[in-house]
Amino acid sequence: MTREEITRREFFKRAAAAGLVAYGAAELSGLDGIPEAEAATPPTIVVASKKKPAELVRAAVDALGGMKKFVKPGDIVVLKPNIAWARKPEQAANTNPEVVAEVVRLCKAAGAREVKVIDHLIDPGEATVLKMSGIGPAAQAAGARVISAGSLAMYQRVSIKRGRTLKTADVLRDLMRADVWINLPIAKVHSGTGVTLGCKNLMGVVWDRGAWHQSASLDQCIADFAVQFRPRLVILDAVRVLLTNGPKGPGKTASPGIVVAGTDPLAVDSFGVTLLGRKPQDIGHIKLAYAAGVGEMRLDRIKVRNV
Amino acid sequence: MSRRLRGLRRVSQVAFLAAFVALFGFAAYLVSTPVPPDLFLRADPLIAFSAMVSARRLVLPLLWFAIPVVVLSLLFGRAFCGWICPMGTSIDLCERLFHIRGLRPSKAPQWRRLKFYLLIALLLTMLLPAAHKSAEELGISKTVGLSAVYALDPIALLTRTFSLVALPAAQWAIGMVNDSLTAFGYSDFVDRHQWLARVVNPVQMGTNLVARPVYFRLGLFTFLFFGGIVALGRFGRRFWCRNICPLGALLGFLGKVSPLRLAVSEKCTRCMRCVNECKVGAITEDPKKYLGAECIGCYSCIAVCPVSAVSLTAGGADAGRDDALQLDRRRLLQAAGAGVAAVIIPKVDWSAKRAERAATKFSDAKLIRPPGALPEEPFVTACVRCGECMKVCPTNALQPAFGEGGLQALESPVLVPRVGPCSQACNLCGSVCPTRAIEPFTIEEKSYLYLGTAVVDRNMCIAWANDKQCLICDEACSYDAISQKKTGGVGRPVIDERICVGCGLCERACPVQPQGAIHVYASGDKRHLSRREQRDLREQVKQEPVSELPYPNL
Repeated sequence: MTREEITRREFFKRAAAAGLVAYGAAELSGLDGIPEAEAATPPTIVVASKKKPAELVRAAVDALGGMKKFVKPGDIVVLKPNIAWARKPEQAANTNPEVVAEVVRLCKAAGAREVKVIDHLIDPGEATVLKMSGIGPAAQAAGARVISAGSLAMYQRVSIKRGRTLKTADVLRDLMRADVWINLPIAKVHSGTGVTLGCKNLMGVVWDRGAWHQSASLDQCIADFAVQFRPRLVILDAVRVLLTNGPKGPGKTASPGIVVAGTDPLAVDSFGVTLLGRKPQDIGHIKLAYAAGVGEMRLDRIKVRNV
Repeated sequence: MSRRLRGLRRVSQVAFLAAFVALFGFAAYLVSTPVPPDLFLRADPLIAFSAMVSARRLVLPLLWFAIPVVVLSLLFGRAFCGWICPMGTSIDLCERLFHIRGLRPSKAPQWRRLKFYLLIALLLTMLLPAAHKSAEELGISKTVGLSAVYALDPIALLTRTFSLVALPAAQWAIGMVNDSLTAFGYSDFVDRHQWLARVVNPVQMGTNLVARPVYFRLGLFTFLFFGGIVALGRFGRRFWCRNICPLGALLGFLGKVSPLRLAVSEKCTRCMRCVNECKVGAITEDPKKYLGAECIGCYSCIAVCPVSAVSLTAGGADAGRDDALQLDRRRLLQAAGAGVAAVIIPKVDWSAKRAERAATKFSDAKLIRPPGALPEEPFVTACVRCGECMKVCPTNALQPAFGEGGLQALESPVLVPRVGPCSQACNLCGSVCPTRAIEPFTIEEKSYLYLGTAVVDRNMCIAWANDKQCLICDEACSYDAISQKKTGGVGRPVIDERICVGCGLCERACPVQPQGAIHVYASGDKRHLSRREQRDLREQVKQEPVSELPYPNL
């Protein structure tokens, strides 16, 4: 094999040209501000209601084609519920433990080799949080490995390629290496970002969340992250929602008794916003995520299947 | 039979040390033990005496456990020191481990009376009225002492060494193993060799379960104190036990009535092996005589006697036991003077000066005590600085005081929110405090046990000063004491000091590095009020009741 000899000058020239082309391509393909999903078929979300929590999950997933469509035999599956706070299930600050446990069982039934339930807890005292939230015992009983991601050794530095504000993040290694990962948020109002649903829930897979708050725009960070990190499936727990003093409460709760599932993360979130009595276009990070092409936020363009 | 006593004693020592370590380890969240985890501290009569006399109150949970040791000493002399005391066993073990043999009995310093003088001095610190009546802002209605027993009690000292030194060291090691295993588990190498994952993962899950890194200040100070006690063995084995330990002095004094006696028969050849072997130098020159208040019942003398001349008898036989303490009157007066000085010095330290027209001292700004703590003056005298509360605290929030509260509060627990906050769902510190310096409290009561008040530093706060979208403090607050004030479209945190109990969750969560922009200060500390008064205060604030709304009816 012969190698083409090039001069240093030639190298710089070519490199500059290649860079320019790459930059231009990125600018064009990115189509900043214009959603990619425009031409695609409208996304479908499933809304399950009037059942017990576990049945809601099963009905919603079945309506999407069953868990086998998302989880293949032998897969390592990561579930990301919201287990941030030392709160009881009836306070609606964490994902409903029955919902989490049922998703674990469905993944196991679909042939998953291992199901990991992971979150980066916020309240101190992981034993307290896991026990009070009910998710620790419930998920373990269902056969999952429950991991509280409390040490930096569990994260790896990732560059956020299309991030406008967020350039890098330390993301859970388990999530990076999973065959499938599923987002399991709960619907709550949020003092900082208006609501917390799927996109906001992803802050729980990064190490330094404080940096997002300190950045130029928290909303933009959430949107930037959602562009790069797309779950295979989002199952939104709205069995019981928190309506005041979110995200930790204690506040007023209500029981819509609903589970929403879909593959378009933003469509699920946008529908979730309405469950909290607000509009998607009023929520900063949802608007930004839509602009960045994460998914659909216009409710009239989201197909809702009720089961 | 008597010859087996040494072996039995060693078994007992190891068993009690193991029990001490196990109870220490099991004093943790979600773990329950059949006996109180602070059993050794409660059984210590000196601690019980100090906590009751110096704080002028009866503490029954202490009394019930201390009485058996008193009875034991009345019957068997200082058997506690030889057979049970984990400090004595630790010293024995260290002397073996580091080959510390001590000087020959004739050359070893004979300071055995010192421990009695120290005991006298400590008794004085308990009795003297250090904080007196009337001072309403002190929050106390009676005089209390300023016991210095924490400095010299062996059980408190050893527990403190375990809490502040041994535990962080062990946790550091576990943490290193855990992090290494975690990182290894994610490596490509393990990916290629899946069988390795099956081996590594269960081990990693095990280490992950017990790994809970803890950090304490004053670790070096505490370590050097303990190390010094061991190193003193260079001048005589169990130097601490024979010359310094005030608990040993107390038990030796009680043991004067013990009917047990060591008798030496006519077979004695004066080979002096018992004299050389005696751990505490209780056999001085004549092997037929020994000091009753010194003997810790280790029975090495019986075991080493080549002609089996030494035996243990109960009463009757007039053996050579000498029960006189031979205290010197002048030294007694000096000891009393030392006790008075030990009270006066911290009380005239700059840190004890009170601010004009305010209840707080200059050293109190960051003096945030755990919930349930007694008012400051009874608290510092009751607290023996054993560090159990710091050990059990699941968030590592409690740290030994160094500066906060001044000289008299040295090494007592203070909440350092930036290290860890007081978690709403926990009441462990109150349940392990042996002296009830922290009174037991329920989790429900925590919403009105005011430790302090949080204050936002608006110059540092990124919401106030930089218009950033933050409000992490509002998110973190467990009690809904923080609300947001919207100005210019940005929410900015505002604290309701009537609701804020000063748990520090906000200070811990604040992303402003390094020190945060929201701080808990002791200004809201309401320990001087009774729990009922604090509850009434809290109930004056009408908060929206937490309720379930019908849906959909937003």
